[in-house]
Amino acid sequence: MTASGDEWLERWREYFLAWYDEGGVEAKAEEAASFAEPYLEEGIVSVSGGKDSMAMLHILVTRCKPDLCVFHWDHGPWLMPREVEREILEGIAAVAPRARLIVREYALGSEERSRWDWRTWYKAFFSTLAQLGYRYHLLGIRADESCRRRARGRIVRRRQWTEVHPIYYFTWRDTWAYVFKHGVPFPRVYFRYARLVGWDRVRLVTFFDREFEKYGSPQLDSVLSWRWRNSPGPTGIT
Amino acid sequence: MEPLEVVFYLRTPVALGFPWLNFDSLLAHILLREELGERYYALPTKVPAAAAVEAHLPLKRWRDVPVASVSIFEPPSAQLQLFSFFKRGDFPFPRGRVDRARGFFKDYYLRVAYAPVQRVRFFCTGEREEVERLCRMVPALGKERNIGFGFVKRVEVREAEEEWGLVKDGKAMRPIPIEYLRWWEDAAPLAYKPPYWDKRSVKLCCVPFTRVELA
Repeated sequence: MTASGDEWLERWREYFLAWYDEGGVEAKAEEAASFAEPYLEEGIVSVSGGKDSMAMLHILVTRCKPDLCVFHWDHGPWLMPREVEREILEGIAAVAPRARLIVREYALGSEERSRWDWRTWYKAFFSTLAQLGYRYHLLGIRADESCRRRARGRIVRRRQWTEVHPIYYFTWRDTWAYVFKHGVPFPRVYFRYARLVGWDRVRLVTFFDREFEKYGSPQLDSVLSWRWRNSPGPTGIT
Repeated sequence: MEPLEVVFYLRTPVALGFPWLNFDSLLAHILLREELGERYYALPTKVPAAAAVEAHLPLKRWRDVPVASVSIFEPPSAQLQLFSFFKRGDFPFPRGRVDRARGFFKDYYLRVAYAPVQRVRFFCTGEREEVERLCRMVPALGKERNIGFGFVKRVEVREAEEEWGLVKDGKAMRPIPIEYLRWWEDAAPLAYKPPYWDKRSVKLCCVPFTRVELA
């Protein structure tokens, strides 16, 4: 027998809420906040809209600095459908209403080419970060995500800025527990993917992006997000 | 031309690259492979060769839409599952250091959604003998057939009660451009004729299994 959508979600919600106490997530959130606090004055919090960055944003806003600076990179309609982007921006505004939000849109993102020409993306993204001129960039990267991310460490010094990872020691359970406990908003598209790939592996990444072809992402997108395969949908965000 | 019902009985689950399989594209694929032989595997990528066989498809056309439904998976309660696997190069590797993270010898960690279904049903209107002949040449359906997905046990082609290749019980059985419809419940940009991978086949169409009225 398979659980219906609501039952499935309710069971997982219960599990994550139980994990919040069992896994000591409150203490981890306190630790993350105290670790990040010294960097907030000269730093900016980068928020993709995914579960990790939204949980980090919530921790920093509620425990450190409600009027912090937030940077969000809009990938453009071909890589991030407008429905999802709209949810992300609404989520950021709900979690951090007093924050100074800086949104930059990827110029090539309004063209289909952006789905396979990802080298241009890197150039545009990193030059934007450099132009922002902040000394610290706070990112929602976790050691649990991959060996490569674990190897990066909690603080990474780059040429023009320093990357700080406040929720570095969070596991996937911790992040979801925090999100469910505090009602942190996240895009609904997560449910669709989590049901198939699992809560431990679900990630918000750009859709139909050839960069992730080696992980089978565009193939899954074609089945789960088929509506966005041939079109970016309506372009403007209202 | 007569209304037909085609049922593929499967040995293994069917892996998907899209929520549905298109029956006309399946026949076009078999027909093209039959015509071209080994040359089928070295087709030019930018000039769709399927257009050449489209005229030979043993299917009725309504305007420029082939009267052939998308797949109906049975049992309908079968939920999508995930299969993860590595695709590693099976090449005569050169001597010395080979970079398998990028370039020609790159390894892929792939994930594919599959449906653990027992039967795949299609409706179409076409030449029964030719449709039957082509269907018997289908060894497997869907994606990742080379690793065992979608193996066909047997296929049955029988006469259908009515023409259900386009609409059945008021519901669209395939993508149909909305310009050919009087009313539709839901629409999305979808390919509606072979080759389905070609952007030139994409138009705003009704979504299969939603309510429509033909114009």
